Amino acid sequence: MVSDRKSLAVVFCKAAMQKVVVKELEKRYDNVLAAQRVSFAIEDGEIFGLLGPNGSGKTTTLECVIGLRQPDAGYIEVCGLDARRHPKAVKEKIGAVLQTIALQDKITPREALALFASFYKRTAAASELLDRFSLTEKADASFDSLSAGQRQRLAVALAFVNNPELIFLDEPTSGLDPQSRRDLHGEIVRMKRDGHTVLLTTHNIDEAEQLCDRIAIIDSGRIIASGPPRDLIAASTSAQSVLLRTAQPLDPKSLAVIPGIEDLVCENSTITFRTKTAGPTLSAVMKVVNDLGVEVLELHARKARLEDVFLALTAEDSQQ
Amino acid sequence: MQAALQQLRISLTLHYRNKMALIYSYLFPLIFLLAFYVLYRYERVVLARHMGELLTVSVLGGACFGLPTTMVSERERGVWRRYRLAPIATATLVLSVIAARYLILLTAGLLQLAVALAMGMPWPQHPVDLWIVFTFVSFAFIGLGLVMAMMADNVPAVQALGQCIFLPMLIIGGIAVPIATLPDWAQHLSQFFPGRYAVQALQACIVGPGLGKTGFELLALVIIGTGGTIAGAKMFRWDAQQRFARRSGKAWISVAVLAWVIVGVLAESRGYTPASARSSEDSVAAPAATPAPTPEPGAPAPASASVQECSPIPPVLTLSEAEKKAAAGKAAPAPAPSNARSTIPNDLPQVEAVPPEKPAAEKAPANTVTLPHPTPPSWQAVTVADIERDLVFDRLPSDSGIVTPIARDEEEPDPDTSEHLRFIQENLPSWQPGKVADPVQRVRNMLYVAAVPDVQQQPIERFAAQAVFYQLQQDIPKDQLIKALYWIALHPTEGDDKAVGDLWALRFTNDPVDLEQTRERAAIYGVKLLGRLLGKLPRGAS
Repeated sequence: MVSDRKSLAVVFCKAAMQKVVVKELEKRYDNVLAAQRVSFAIEDGEIFGLLGPNGSGKTTTLECVIGLRQPDAGYIEVCGLDARRHPKAVKEKIGAVLQTIALQDKITPREALALFASFYKRTAAASELLDRFSLTEKADASFDSLSAGQRQRLAVALAFVNNPELIFLDEPTSGLDPQSRRDLHGEIVRMKRDGHTVLLTTHNIDEAEQLCDRIAIIDSGRIIASGPPRDLIAASTSAQSVLLRTAQPLDPKSLAVIPGIEDLVCENSTITFRTKTAGPTLSAVMKVVNDLGVEVLELHARKARLEDVFLALTAEDSQQ
Repeated sequence: MQAALQQLRISLTLHYRNKMALIYSYLFPLIFLLAFYVLYRYERVVLARHMGELLTVSVLGGACFGLPTTMVSERERGVWRRYRLAPIATATLVLSVIAARYLILLTAGLLQLAVALAMGMPWPQHPVDLWIVFTFVSFAFIGLGLVMAMMADNVPAVQALGQCIFLPMLIIGGIAVPIATLPDWAQHLSQFFPGRYAVQALQACIVGPGLGKTGFELLALVIIGTGGTIAGAKMFRWDAQQRFARRSGKAWISVAVLAWVIVGVLAESRGYTPASARSSEDSVAAPAATPAPTPEPGAPAPASASVQECSPIPPVLTLSEAEKKAAAGKAAPAPAPSNARSTIPNDLPQVEAVPPEKPAAEKAPANTVTLPHPTPPSWQAVTVADIERDLVFDRLPSDSGIVTPIARDEEEPDPDTSEHLRFIQENLPSWQPGKVADPVQRVRNMLYVAAVPDVQQQPIERFAAQAVFYQLQQDIPKDQLIKALYWIALHPTEGDDKAVGDLWALRFTNDPVDLEQTRERAAIYGVKLLGRLLGKLPRGAS
């Protein structure tokens, strides 16, 4: 009995720690299965990334979770609430930035914040949001006069208008200039620091690697891998990239015979190749170089990055 | 509630920031007003007979174009999708959009009304009723706009759909074209359109009996508005890509269509047919079937007598005692005196409406225009003083224009017309309607010979008028002719118009003709001839 209670408490605590639980989510558009048995959970306070190429189903998944689309099957829990049964209550607790920043041309940031605030029971002060997102100077400017970065900041400010527990960001940095992107990255980090939970969709691998505590790689509507970026890379069988620069040009034929070398490219005295067996392959390469009496100027071996993992996984998936 | 109010406030604020929206909402109705003013400038009462049409055009334009364009463009760009992320009910959003559009329509209608009043239109007879009816009309058309907004995927589709509704409504829906001038099938079809009921209900509040007599029209508007609103709400789409919320979504269009069908069928089954329609157009088109009701004995006479009871005719045009007696004495009453379209100038005094023996308390309400002076009791009693006091001649349509043209003496018709004209000149002296005993009716009949080709815009129109003028001066002593012409000018709807049916004897075609318009044109020709006889035409006129 005690054991049962204990296990129940563990389950309860775990559930309470999870801000989003998605199980076996499915969504079909005519003949296209945009989400196939998608399952994941997001822990309280973490930044979770849905990473995938365009058309992979990440936006569909996000929109099902936030109630913009009706899934065909599956269970969605947001902030402890069944999202399909209590959409209104869920909407009170979440904020979202969609891919398209859509507001009327002539509305001002101040008016937009006041309008959206009127939709919620719990609201943040408009002046604070304007200040936080550096929009005070543009508070009374019309939406169509704002720059892309300012519009994006306004979209994020609108997502915060109800002091949400959970923020959804659908490709928030696409179309932004590097400075605006950097500013928004800083804001996302601040969200985490302030205790918000964030679900971020992106096709930008660097962004996912840099910002997310955990990611799920999604392709063709299915999650093909998930976990912290470092774990994904470590578990990956992706090849390492090697660059070798010598004082005199090498004959590529002398290297091509070495086992483990893939994608060999020779340009003058610079050679690049990929290998999954870095240790033995590099020893063999150095032996050839020494035998030929060629001086080595530079040698780099770079471990697989998330990009390599992503490309490898999505390539495998498409072959299947 | 707070969300709805805030949304309403923002909708209105954004509307007033949008120059194009302002042009569509406020400038277009004023352009229509100006166009109607120019088109009907010869009417005795400025615009009053057309205010129902004008207000309906404004509401129709706002509902068919303004509302769906706003809704679809916001939906298309994803604004509604963003709203959908918030815990706001669909009904809240839709109601606030409807409320905002209603306020825009109301202010546009008020502006139109204010400008019309400034142009000289009399104050509406039932302002509160007018507001109530305007609300019903707005409801009906906003429902239609909602359906359009849900059907259209993008703004160009709204424009296409809007034109599909707007133009038929104007042309055969009873809004811009008088129903009596439409072919029979179109008159029946118009009963399925809300425009007809909107015009008639509004008109009844401006110059008619008010809300009390518009039961069927209001019912029709409610049915059509409810059908549209239900269909619009059921087909509601947050997202441009969301074709319809449910697979059965499209089927809800049938609810809106069904509402129109119910109204049309009800109208047909209740005898709301052209023959018995209560519009002035219909009463003139079928005079025998539309007897003008007479007040109950002993009951206080309504300010504008029976005319107001049956048709949206300006109350300022009221029956004289002589007219009442004449109408009461006939087995088949004369057509309702819808002489509002008379082209006699605005300052023409109106015929006294209130019987002198009527107690003060029973007299006409203040907003009924009554004559400031007595009028001749019969045509024989007309004096030059009456003519000089009551008629002005400097605002008549030009002889070389489209309305009531008259050929100049030196003008030559083409060969075909010349042959027909010769036939008329030869046979007019022996034409039977030109020989009736009553001199006024005789003159009236002769004037129809000029008026009918004018209404039908036949090539001979200007020459026929010339021939009629000549023949009248030959047949009737000048003194009698002057008095008869004055009488016809002031009483264009008196007498009968059977002579119109006898024009075949002068080789005119038997094409149908709007009798009301024919009587108007006859009255204008009468004034033109009177001006010639008295030498009162302005300098430069022939």
